[in-house]
Amino acid sequence: MVECDFPECTTFGAVVRFSIELEKGAAGIYEELAKNPKAASGATLFKELAELHKKRMASVENMRQQKLNEMILEPIQDMKRELYLIDTKVPAGADAKAGAQFVMKVEETSSRFYVDAAKIAKMIMAEGSRFMDKLGKENLAIKARLAAL
Amino acid sequence: MALLTEVQKNYGKLKNYVNGEWVDSTTDKWLDIENPSTGATIGQVPMSTADETKAAIEAANEAWWTWRETPPIARARLFFKLKELMEQHFENVARIMVQEQGKTIDEARGETRRAIENVEVAAGIPSLMMGYNLEDGAAEGIDEDAIISPLGVFGAICPFNFPAMIPFWFWPYAVATGNTYLVKPSSQVPLTMNYLTKIVEQAGFPPGILNVVNGSHEVSDTMMEHPKVKGISFVGSTPVAKYIYKHSAENGKRVQAQGGAKNSLVIMPDANLDRTVANMLASYYGCAGQRCLAGSNMIAVGNVADPLLKKWLEGTRKIKMGYGLDESVNMGPVVSAKAKKKVIEYIDGAEKQGAKVLIDGRKAVVPGYEKGHFVGPTVIDGVTPDMTIANEEVFGPVVSFMRMESMDDAIEFIHKSPFGNAASIYTQSGKSARDFRYRVQCGNIGINVGIVAAMAYFPFAGYKDSFFGDLHGQGQDAIKFFTDRKVVITRWY
Repeated sequence: MVECDFPECTTFGAVVRFSIELEKGAAGIYEELAKNPKAASGATLFKELAELHKKRMASVENMRQQKLNEMILEPIQDMKRELYLIDTKVPAGADAKAGAQFVMKVEETSSRFYVDAAKIAKMIMAEGSRFMDKLGKENLAIKARLAAL
Repeated sequence: MALLTEVQKNYGKLKNYVNGEWVDSTTDKWLDIENPSTGATIGQVPMSTADETKAAIEAANEAWWTWRETPPIARARLFFKLKELMEQHFENVARIMVQEQGKTIDEARGETRRAIENVEVAAGIPSLMMGYNLEDGAAEGIDEDAIISPLGVFGAICPFNFPAMIPFWFWPYAVATGNTYLVKPSSQVPLTMNYLTKIVEQAGFPPGILNVVNGSHEVSDTMMEHPKVKGISFVGSTPVAKYIYKHSAENGKRVQAQGGAKNSLVIMPDANLDRTVANMLASYYGCAGQRCLAGSNMIAVGNVADPLLKKWLEGTRKIKMGYGLDESVNMGPVVSAKAKKKVIEYIDGAEKQGAKVLIDGRKAVVPGYEKGHFVGPTVIDGVTPDMTIANEEVFGPVVSFMRMESMDDAIEFIHKSPFGNAASIYTQSGKSARDFRYRVQCGNIGINVGIVAAMAYFPFAGYKDSFFGDLHGQGQDAIKFFTDRKVVITRWY
């Protein structure tokens, strides 16, 4: 199980940290599912999605490094941490379908997080907002692929 | 949320960087470097001697001519390399800055980005320092050229509030244009520049091109008095800036000396209050108010005062203080116990003069960081133009709330200030914004922007007692400051 450390979303940096933790958590779940013999029928997709979430994590880190500047460090007060926490403990003995059902909840929560973060970021950093909006939509596309498994 | 990891717990005794070597200082005077959030000692910095400073200047001068002969495009390549290395070390630079300065990790990341942006601009030096010419410019058959040339050794004396960005306002432009350089970092925050210098070394800059000598007045005075130093850049308080300007000029140097500030943010009745408050929170409380561009006076015009103050108090109460390596923290401590004492004295003084402290940060304590130099966000209402706190630089997270009848009153008040660093207006009216921009005598004007921090390709400095000199930092002004124009008139028979 991947340990995630989700912060209170009180700054833009904390929102970015939250998103990094979400991506790390999701990548860890997919890796665990990909190694699980009982979920072998989904292994190829799970491996692909683990890599995708790692790439997304790197993109988020890159966005923070390249785009954050001191003019946009406005306090953030409207995102409640509790609404976006994900469970990273994959149910024991889950087969591909059960694994997919489990991780679809993660994708759904992530999507909600990104949609809400994009709304807040819109007033602070337009590029960051567009980026998060894109990630949120991608979460839903991933969820649809998992549903078809 | 766990704290981000510190790069090192303790950085030991710092060395100077002279002629491409890391050298121990022979001084017997050392200062502790303190983490202002925890109170822990995280290293020692030498108060280097005049002789050590002279050795660095001689090394820079020795390296100068060869460096001047290095083609600009070759010099630029080193800056491209440096940029890449700074990106790789980005997070370490930011975290060291949090450790020694106290700002939040986001603020430190923003500052690291600013330092990199100056490197990026300096990397364009082949285009930036081109001269100009005119065929038949002198007479028929006689052409005239203006060539832009470097001058020799320059130096910077740096403050504590931006340990990475401020040295990088200067040295990349000086070195890219073909000069050599000596940086004296603030003795309160020398670790960031120490780390960055290792990156500069790794990038492959030849020995003697960039030198770093740690210390205090002895180093600064030697830099200002040495005949081989051509110019000095300084950022700090106004009294010191005046001294640096005068003393350097007496010794025949070019000088750009940036001083203190007292920035007023004017809020008009038609301002978008939600957006204004969110934006201003970053201005007044960012870097714990220790920015020369920080908001200090908040001037509410007309009937906006009461609704503005209500929202402002709500926003202020939500500011989370703590160690900047906690990513959810909005504001860190001020830099030292001395700085904290000074800020508290200003709040005490305002109270004695009749102002009312609505939110009081004087006794703020952050659990787990009892030895940190925290001053909570403070809001003082009823500040009038004659009060000390309305006129002097506090350099802390303190808001002086003032009420005025009209924008004209606000501009008149701003004009009476000896400072002229920055001023902002919050309005939805283009006419008000245009009037404000046109009339206010400050070097940096914000329109619905509370931190008017010029990007690397724009010049940065204030007016009046906020700046002594003519050519500003960064941008084209930096190129001009570090070069001279040589006119060549050519006639062939």
